[in-house]
Amino acid sequence: MSEAEESSSYPPIDPVSFDLIIVGTGLSESIIAAAASAVGKTILHLDPNSFYGSHFASLSLEEITSYLNSPPKSITAAASSSDSDYAVINLIQQPLLSDAELISCDSVDESTFLLENSRKFNLDLGGPRALFSADKTIDLLLKSGAAQYLEFKGIDTSLVYNANEGLVNVPDSRGAIFRDKKLSLKEKNQLMKFFKLVQQHLGDNEDGKISEEDMESPFVSFLEKTGLPPKIKAILLYAIAMVDFDQENGEVSKDLLTTKDGIDRLAQYSSSVGRFPSAPGALIYPIYGEGELPQAFCRRAAVKGCIYVLRMPVISLLMDKVTESYKGVRLASGQDLYSHQLILDPSFTIPSTQSLSPKGMVARGICITRSSIKPDVSNCSVVYPPRSLYPDQVTSVRALQIGSNLAVCPAGTFVLYFSTLCNDADEGKKLLKASMKALLSLPVSGNTEIILQSDSEDKKAVVLWSVIYVQKLTMSKFEAISSTPTPDGNLNYNDLVDATEKLFNQMYPDEEFFPKTTSPEDSTDDDDDNGIIMEN
Amino acid sequence: MPSRRRTLLKVIILGDSGVGKTSLMNQYVNKKFSNQYKATIGADFLTKEVQFEDRLFTLQIWDTAGQERFQSLGVAFYRGADCCVLVYDVNSVKSFDNLNNWREEFLIQANPSDPENFPFVVIGNKIDIDGGNSRVVSEKKARAWCAAKGNIPYFETSAKEGINVEEAFQTIAKDALKSGEEEELYLPDTIDVGNSSQPRSTGCEC
Repeated sequence: MSEAEESSSYPPIDPVSFDLIIVGTGLSESIIAAAASAVGKTILHLDPNSFYGSHFASLSLEEITSYLNSPPKSITAAASSSDSDYAVINLIQQPLLSDAELISCDSVDESTFLLENSRKFNLDLGGPRALFSADKTIDLLLKSGAAQYLEFKGIDTSLVYNANEGLVNVPDSRGAIFRDKKLSLKEKNQLMKFFKLVQQHLGDNEDGKISEEDMESPFVSFLEKTGLPPKIKAILLYAIAMVDFDQENGEVSKDLLTTKDGIDRLAQYSSSVGRFPSAPGALIYPIYGEGELPQAFCRRAAVKGCIYVLRMPVISLLMDKVTESYKGVRLASGQDLYSHQLILDPSFTIPSTQSLSPKGMVARGICITRSSIKPDVSNCSVVYPPRSLYPDQVTSVRALQIGSNLAVCPAGTFVLYFSTLCNDADEGKKLLKASMKALLSLPVSGNTEIILQSDSEDKKAVVLWSVIYVQKLTMSKFEAISSTPTPDGNLNYNDLVDATEKLFNQMYPDEEFFPKTTSPEDSTDDDDDNGIIMEN
Repeated sequence: MPSRRRTLLKVIILGDSGVGKTSLMNQYVNKKFSNQYKATIGADFLTKEVQFEDRLFTLQIWDTAGQERFQSLGVAFYRGADCCVLVYDVNSVKSFDNLNNWREEFLIQANPSDPENFPFVVIGNKIDIDGGNSRVVSEKKARAWCAAKGNIPYFETSAKEGINVEEAFQTIAKDALKSGEEEELYLPDTIDVGNSSQPRSTGCEC
């Protein structure tokens, strides 16, 4: 069955009028579908794709290749008309992703292997992404009931890159500091002392508080004041507090993190370590990839009555001829449907209105390798702080390696995700390439020999396939026709969850975002079924 | 070595809208039937403890939650299934003809390691309607299809009257168990840590 045949074979959608129509099944759209369904709104949730997740999807190797090579075309329907009771305005879809550069190794054996195992890959379009065990996204998964459809595993270790030593462990707990072989005794003591300071501040005792003045000052100044050496400072700023921009270069420093926010991030990180006994570090990752998250919320919504139609593009909007207010949508199938409100995924724009103001971009990369970047470690996160790769590197690069025990790739392979914020595509791609080259041996097009046999010190993991692309960033927007945010440049989902909750509250100011009380029909769900499931 | 695969078995029920998927589940697990049809809302999954040779298993039976109506079940629904139940209505030729599509859809989406031997069970439901007089798919035709697809076990049921439902699910459970045991165990030992999810002291644990 071709997709077109399938969508045209759909029966007409019934009913034709809803409280809310949502286009796109990305994470934010799916959370809103679940939240609005939970408070009794009638919802139609559409997606032009044959898969769930929009820009948060996890795709097979073939799917992601064709998706990145030919992103969804701008929809061009018949010219706007007003033959019906409504003014019909065509909807324009502009791909968020661009500048894709795909490289695969020339080895015939490996290419065959990749092709044959295409469906064993679940590659995240919006990676790298993971959850902190103690972050609010976990609370949302529990509160919404989405957690019961998901399983997680812990990320084994967090690493930070520096040009001299390569990958070093992030000393993120007492045990990790104690075991660390690369820290001197003095450094260990300094770090312990600093963590103690933070702990005192977070405690109930008024005596141990950091002064108000310090709390409002830049975190980097505070760290300097405590006399921590540059290496430790970089780890705290970029690998634990996860700061994006260089904090120590006056000219380019944007968004200096305050001590208050820095302490909050440290607290989140440290309360994540050990929250789940089977998660060795602060981070966890969903089995089968991040695309499971939006699907879990969609299932929650479906259970509450939300209607799902994939492979169904919306081609135009129906507006009131007089008031010019939104009334409904026209589907590719020709059917007209009506709703009080409409949410569009951020790749859609309406011709007559201002397009979503871009907030910069994020460059993303994916590599498939035959070996781990760190021996004996399958899943790990890596941060390359500003200036660690080259002097004018102003943003952090984040990477995440996921192995086959998370069911995102066939046995014997690993998937690495990279991302960094950037102002333009060239800058972002240059930085990602440098971060890949620092740890991996990339295939050189035209060169059939894989530089494996050279027994040099350079035993880097060999890349079988890689892609680099650039994604536009936009924020959410609340109007009669609202937009959800794009995947952001962060490692976790907290900002997205905040923006989504805010959008929900704007749309439904009198409704609670996932009320605590569960309806009687949920009573079959055992309470202990609602926990986060972790694989050992 | 005990593992999740051997104590929790995932069963999914597929088939056209209105063939009685939710009713079959409800009859088997809750011994209840409701004559009032409404497209599935509120059904998620039902669990039932089953015993085999002194061992207890939890059968987790997943409803489509209505997402089958526009063929919009996501891949997550299919993942990790140990048995797939295909349901049609013996009074509807279309629902029978579509079994083939549902089976193929399952094999593509779930991508089982051994598709030839993955356990399906086919159920022809609603044999009670009109005393069987409105029946349009013969048992012979259904059995022939099942035989052609690798001898899929076949049951004719009435979810309303509770006819043959228990028997069908016994086979489903047995086949799920067998398939669960043979599966490559690359995801061992699930740990439910929901209990530790209560907010802890926010103290810095470093």
